[in-house]
Order: sequence, then structure tokens, then C-alpha cells
Amino acid sequence: MRLLIVEDDALVALGLKQSLSKAGYTVDLATSAEQAERFLAAEKFDLALVDIGLPKADGLALIRQLRGRGSAIPVLVLSARGSLEDTISGLDVGADDYMTKPFRLPELVARIRALIRRSHAVAHEELCHRDLVLNTSERMATLAGAPLDLTNREWAILEALLMASPKVVSKDGLVQRLAGWDKDMTPNAVEVHVSRLRAKLQPGNIEIRTVRGIGYRVDAEQS
Amino acid sequence: MNFPANWDLRQRLLLAILIPLTFVFVLNVVLDYRLAKETADTAYDQSLVDAALDIAAHIQSSHTSSLFELSVEAEAMLRSDASDHVYFAVRGSDGRLLAGDRELPAAPHSSGTPPEFADIRFKDEAMREALHRVRAHGEEIVIAVAETTAKRDRASRHILTAMILPNLGLIIAVFLVVYFGIRRGLAPLARIEEQVAARSPRDLRALEFDRTPREIRPLVARLNQLFDLLREASAAQQRFLADAAHQLRTPLAGLQTHIELGVEEGHFDRGSERLVHVEDAIARMTHLVSQLLAYARAEPSAAAIQPFEPVPLHVLAEQSASTFLDQAIAKGIDLGFDIEPAFVAGIPWMLREALGNLIDNALRYTPEKGVVTVRSRRVGDLACLEVEDDGPGIPAAERERIFERFYRIPGSSGDGCGLGLAIVREIAELHSAGIALEEAGGCGLRISLLFQGRDVAGTAAEDAASRPSPGPRTACTACPLPGYGEPTTSTGS
Repeated sequence: MRLLIVEDDALVALGLKQSLSKAGYTVDLATSAEQAERFLAAEKFDLALVDIGLPKADGLALIRQLRGRGSAIPVLVLSARGSLEDTISGLDVGADDYMTKPFRLPELVARIRALIRRSHAVAHEELCHRDLVLNTSERMATLAGAPLDLTNREWAILEALLMASPKVVSKDGLVQRLAGWDKDMTPNAVEVHVSRLRAKLQPGNIEIRTVRGIGYRVDAEQS
Repeated sequence: MNFPANWDLRQRLLLAILIPLTFVFVLNVVLDYRLAKETADTAYDQSLVDAALDIAAHIQSSHTSSLFELSVEAEAMLRSDASDHVYFAVRGSDGRLLAGDRELPAAPHSSGTPPEFADIRFKDEAMREALHRVRAHGEEIVIAVAETTAKRDRASRHILTAMILPNLGLIIAVFLVVYFGIRRGLAPLARIEEQVAARSPRDLRALEFDRTPREIRPLVARLNQLFDLLREASAAQQRFLADAAHQLRTPLAGLQTHIELGVEEGHFDRGSERLVHVEDAIARMTHLVSQLLAYARAEPSAAAIQPFEPVPLHVLAEQSASTFLDQAIAKGIDLGFDIEPAFVAGIPWMLREALGNLIDNALRYTPEKGVVTVRSRRVGDLACLEVEDDGPGIPAAERERIFERFYRIPGSSGDGCGLGLAIVREIAELHSAGIALEEAGGCGLRISLLFQGRDVAGTAAEDAASRPSPGPRTACTACPLPGYGEPTTSTGS
């Protein structure tokens, strides 16, 4: 996996580059939006880590430009401004996720992994989490290499949870998602499907966590 | 005219108009009275002269000059008057009395042109006397006729009342017309005064200009300029804070990353107490920097420039699950939700920040394995956002103080910076929301933010369009939540 870090502060950039290299990524570093543009135009990256506060053109302008020319590369915004307003403006221009400085490395890596998994699922029709692989084009699931037999509804629920991980997915959201197959789907029925899924995923040590009063979440993979 | 400087415009206008007006009325009354009195006096004088002329005619028609007698009937007629006593004296050129009252003085009258009049005193009464001279029987005979002034006085009184009453009525009518006219005329000023008076310090919108009378437009324009300056100043302050936060956060991020890297590379002993302290210090510094920024941005001056919009509280609550789940899991806390749809008009990031602070506080102060529940719901007219925990609770004596900046309950275990609830209070005040603190389930704490009735998203949208000035603190003094006992409410001081 190849990452581009766009960050002008040498201290942070160096720390990020070394940490992410240790986490197994190939990392390139750009110190301005202009340099990042050249990198992204010339080579293929799996994800861009963009600081908003860049000299001259800022990170938001860079993302706007990327999306403007149709690039689908996942973008994780890093910002020191940190208010939720900025979060929203960052996501509005097309960033996929957002983190405020300072950040904990494990959380950053988990977010990067989730973003790459999501874009990978779209690009390669393959959704991976630990030992679990969902091949979305062939509708084939394997757990630690062994085929996993899933019903349509279980498949839809698992796919939704994995795509959203580590975000929480509400039971109502799942009901709506399943409404395509089953008009009479209820939150209680979702619970039944989830408990069956849990039993099937047990061997792979993949936990579907219940969030009381809302729904479910698949925890992020720990590095 | 000089008035005391603190008099209001209405008083000034009233006095400036009414004092000269009253003066004009008094002058008018005096002049009218004199004219009417003169007319009446002339008429009465004429009747006196007529009496004298009657006597003169009588003398000239008589044959003797030495003495003449008026018939009893004639004299009675002469003296007859409903209200006044009439006296007369007829004297020859040598002053001898020919007829009438001996004592009546025939005062020498200067004017010379007949008839001659004089105001005299006779028998202790003020009288009016007319003199008439005729030549008869070879000598000049002087006829004096006098009468008391009762009917003249009565006429004066009549004239006076007839003049003064209508004039007084007119003065009162003019006073009323002027008073209400001024009130009406000054209504736009009063409206502007109300607009300014009803404002909270955070409301820095321009005053309505187009519907303002031309005379006070310069004043309103200056006020609006001032508001502009204040808005700019608060925007500048906000930019400064954003810059300051940026400057602080970036090196903090560097520090954090390099320490984590150092641990990874084995430069620090992973389990060492010193490393724990360093990481704890960084975490607290990080938290403080972000809280300072949030507090500054929620402050009235900075918040005044942001628009209200409909905010679904249930969505905020649901989104907070993803944000806080890991923090809860790390402490073994069961973080749960109880979500019903509820809309308010507000500033989305602020409401999210307020809820985030409540949840963060609950997670910090609730011991491991505790339970924290986040709720959104409607209670009557109120939309309610609340966070309940089963932690140590807050003693009643501390419930006001915990909203103060940097206040921490003595001996409390959490590692908060003391800004969280101050931020919540600022945001609640800005949204005219009440804060209720209650004991939850024997121990623990339930903090509720109670927003005034915004029924549905549609209503909230309308409200957002005509943003209500977040007026006087509309504290929810009685919290009508069923079964909550006696809540402590606070909207801050």
C-alpha cells in the first residue's frame, strides 16, 4: 500500500512517515499542495493524508482540485484547526475522513486501514477484515481461507458493518438496507440475523459489538 | 430653551411647545377680555348718558329755572334698575342743587367733550358717573347721573368665564393632541430603543435601517457601524484563536508521534512510570488546547456571527456513538443510547460540542465498568438532550460552581481540564436552553439540556430564518420531566 503524506511541518511529517512505514506502508512526502499535485498526477497512491494548513494553496483546495478532476483516491484530512465546522467543510469538499492534531498513531492507522478497505472494496470488489474476505462480485466469503456460507441478509448486514467499520451502524439503517429483499424486516429480525452472523464469525475472532440503543459495530483492526 | 440634560425627548418637545402656547393663550384671554369689557362698558355708559339726556329734556321743557320737580313716576323710572342703585343730581351754574341727591358729587371732569364719565366713590360704593351740561333758562345746568357697578361687575365676570373656559378647554385639547402626536411621532425611536434594549450582548446584527425616519438614520447608521466593528473584532479574535490552536497543535502532534515512535523503537521503556506521566501530560495538554479553542469559539462575541439552523438532536446523539465508543470501551464503560426524534434551532457544531463535552465528562468521571446513557427526546414543548451516568454524582453544594471555568470539584478523580461544563453552559445560553442537574438512580448524575419548543424540522427552519435574538435567559426553572424529583437548574449566572 502506498500513501502520500502532504504536510509542511517537518517534525510531524517525519514522525508520520517513519510511523506509517513501520506500519507497513510505502510512504511519500509532499510539503506543499503543488508538490502533492505533481506526485498524484505522476503516480498511483492508495491514500492521501492531507494537512489543511499548507503554505499557499491549502489542503481543502488540493482536495477540491483532486475531486474536480475525478480522482477517487481516499483522502484523510489532518487538521490543527480542529473544530467540527472544519470537519464538515473538509468532508464537504470530498475528504473521506478527518482527524484532528494531535492524534494517536494507532487510531490514525486504524482509520487509514478502514479507508483503504472501503476503497479497495469498491475498486477490487473485495472487502477484507482480519481473516475475513468478502468478494463482492462473486458473492463469495472466506474466513481464514475457508469458505463461509452466508444468507443474503447476513451478507448485506456484514457488508454494511464492514464498509462502515469502525463507525457504528444503526439498526434502523440495517432495516432500510434489507428492505430491498424483505419489506417486513424489523429491528428484532435484524437482531436474529446478527446473532447468527456472530456464531458464523466466531472462529475468525471477529466481533460484532452491540451498541446499546443504536445498533452494531465491527471494531477496527488493531495494528 | 435649555432643559436638564437627562430629560427625554418627549418631555422636551412637550414643554417647548406647551410653554409658549400657554403664554399665547393667556395673552389672548387678556386682550379678548379687555375688548369685551370695553364694549359692555360703552353700552352701560350710554344708558347712563340716556338718563342724563332724559333729565336735560325735562329741564328744557319746564318753565322755571330756579327749581324743578321730577314727577314721582319719572323719578321712580329714572332710579329703577334691577341690580344697581341709580343716583342723580341737577345743579345750576353756581352749584346749587336743583333736584336729586345732594351728596352726589359732581366731580369736575377733564375731558370736556360731552358726555363726561368718571369712576367715583359715593356712599362707600364704587360708582360710574356721567355728567351732562345743558344751557337752559339762561344758565348752564349740570346733570350728574351715577349708578353702582353691580351689573358691570357681573358682566365682567360673565365675560371672564365665557373667555377662560373655552380657552382652558382648548389648552387641554392642544396638550392632549400634542402629547399623543409626539408619542406617535417618536414611535420609531421607541422601537429602536426596544430593539437595542432587548438585545443580548451576543446579538451584533445591524439595526433595521430602511423603516427608520430620516432624522435618526445617521444615529442608526453609526450604531450599525459600531456593530460592524464589533463583529469584525470578534471575527478577528476567532481567526487569532484558530491560528493559535494551529500553532500549538502541530508541535503537539509532532511530540506525540515521536514519543510513540520512540516507544516503538525501544528508546523508552514501554511500561515505565515516567513514560506514562509524559503520555498523560501530552494527553492533558491536547485536551486543554482543544477545549480552549472550543470555549473561545462558543463565546458570545464569536458565536454571534453564526446562523441558526434546524438541528436533529437524535442524529447528533447517534453520531456521537462512533466518536466516543472507543473511549468507553477502553474504560470498560457500557455506553448506550436512548434516542427519540427531537429538533431544535441551533448551531450544529456547537450542539455537537456541547453533547460531546457532556459525554466526555461522564466517561471521565464514571468509574470503570460503569454505565453511561445518552438520550434525545421531546418532553412537552421541550427538546431534551441528556447524559446520565452512574458515577459519583455531584454534591448539591457544587452544582453551581461546576459551570465555572477551570473549576474542579476538590478531590475528584477525573483528569478533565475544567472547561467542559463551562463550554456547555456558554452553548446552552446561546441557545436559550436550560441545564438541569439531577441525581440519577440513587447516585450518579443526569445532565439535561432543555431547549425551548421547536416542534418539527419545518418550524425549526422558519425559526432559523428569523433568528430569534437569544434573549433574556429563559431558564427552564421547573423541569417538567416526569419522576425527576427536584431538579437543580442552571443557565449560568
